[in-house]
Amino acid sequence: MSRIPRVEDFSHRLRAPQLTGRVGLWLGITLTITFLTGVWSHFQQDTPGWLSIPTSPYWLYRVTQGLHVISGTAAVPLLLVKLWSVFPRLFIRPPLRPSRAAVLHLLERGSIALLMASVIFQLATGLANSAQWYPWEFGFRPLHYAVAWVFIGALLIHVAVKLPVIREALGAPVDRDEPERPSGGLTRRGLLSVTWGAAGIAALATAGSTVSWLREVSIFGVRSGAGVQGVAINRTAEQAHIAPVDESWRLEVTYDGDSRLFSLDELRAMPQASHDLPIACVEGWSSSGTWTGVSLADLMAAVGAPTDSRIFAVSMQQGGAWRTSELPGHFVEDRRTLLALGLNGEPLHLDHGYPCRIIAPNRPGVLQTKWVQRLEVYA
Amino acid sequence: MTAWRIVLAVPAVAALAYAASRLADVPSDQWASVLKWLIGGVVLHDGVLAPVVVVLGLIASRWLPAPWRAPAVVGLIWWGSVSLLAIPVLTGNGVDPPNETLQHRPYVASWWIGMAATVALVLAAGWVRRFRSMRPGSPSLGERSR
Repeated sequence: MSRIPRVEDFSHRLRAPQLTGRVGLWLGITLTITFLTGVWSHFQQDTPGWLSIPTSPYWLYRVTQGLHVISGTAAVPLLLVKLWSVFPRLFIRPPLRPSRAAVLHLLERGSIALLMASVIFQLATGLANSAQWYPWEFGFRPLHYAVAWVFIGALLIHVAVKLPVIREALGAPVDRDEPERPSGGLTRRGLLSVTWGAAGIAALATAGSTVSWLREVSIFGVRSGAGVQGVAINRTAEQAHIAPVDESWRLEVTYDGDSRLFSLDELRAMPQASHDLPIACVEGWSSSGTWTGVSLADLMAAVGAPTDSRIFAVSMQQGGAWRTSELPGHFVEDRRTLLALGLNGEPLHLDHGYPCRIIAPNRPGVLQTKWVQRLEVYA
Repeated sequence: MTAWRIVLAVPAVAALAYAASRLADVPSDQWASVLKWLIGGVVLHDGVLAPVVVVLGLIASRWLPAPWRAPAVVGLIWWGSVSLLAIPVLTGNGVDPPNETLQHRPYVASWWIGMAATVALVLAAGWVRRFRSMRPGSPSLGERSR
């Protein structure tokens, strides 16, 4: 017994390329969705110069990032079944003599190692990040982004290497050459159904963080979307070390060398607009609220700046990666972009950014700057 | 086939080259942690999780009466995979200081309820299968096939 197992030691009743191919196809689809929506989030957070992010549809970031986390979560059971179905191949003895076959074998093994390492890395760090748990000593964003590209490269190589096997497997019925079912066991077809079921359960158990009608079902959802004034919070005032402000608080708006100060009462006296907009996070949660405040376009007019000015918003936070944000001109021009003073009929709660915050359509939550102290306007 | 392989390989190499350029920017004092997480996942799967599942399969095929085998597999895949992906919320890490809108569900209680429900459903399904197989004319589930 005390020897390394061989491929032949494992049962091949359920394991077959037809099964692996089908699970692998859907694993590839879910992970590719996760990759594309992840890269999209990166573009929305750090927009490259050649790209202009539209303000409509206002729900674009919410939907893409909800999809990012849901499809990544649903991929977990698919990955486990896929890896189970090929586990015996781990014990294939590599050719020992140096030869072309040995080199090819090594390359294939290497690409699979890269693929497995990157997929598990992405799923593990992504799931932990959505719970705001960081049990590692590296920056989550740069690594999750870089390893995503390792993943997509390794996936394409894997598909290229396995192309003949994949074609053959997907073209054949899943139960081809399936040995007689022993009493009480599953069939391959049955195992496939159970696997799709597992992916569905994984999605349902967590999707309530962003799909509001699933809130009661998603027992493992990191959030329910609920929170003070009906909207979830990423960072509370306490976490951001923000103290409540008093009457002496002023919003500073700088433009063209001038600086204008606005008291909260002055802001409230300006024309008020209300819009239903979501706070949507890359962590896959979102919740919607009715925000009331001054359209930034109106505020631009009040300081004599063009309504499509670029705005640099600075928060009262003393530090943190998301202390500031930049609004491109077409976001400022969109009248749904508010300097919000109220939420769902009440003055903004301190945790939502009292006295005022940025809220714009189709923006990553971290760029909806709270506790705004200063707006730097550039025509 | 070769054409398709080239179509796939060219963007693959480009993606890996871009990944390498991003990884080159990672500060050197973070590398140990990055490698630990990259390699650790594979080691944990191939060295712990997969062997545990193989051993569970051996135990089930030896000790579990036939009618309960398929339900047990279904229970393991469904509840096992969901449990695995719920580790971040089940361990209760990540909230400091408490943010009421984050991780505010009774996760551990839900897990125990789910676990109890899974066991109950597996047992019940096995009983139903056993009962059905005992009716005249049904295929036998009683014996272990080899």
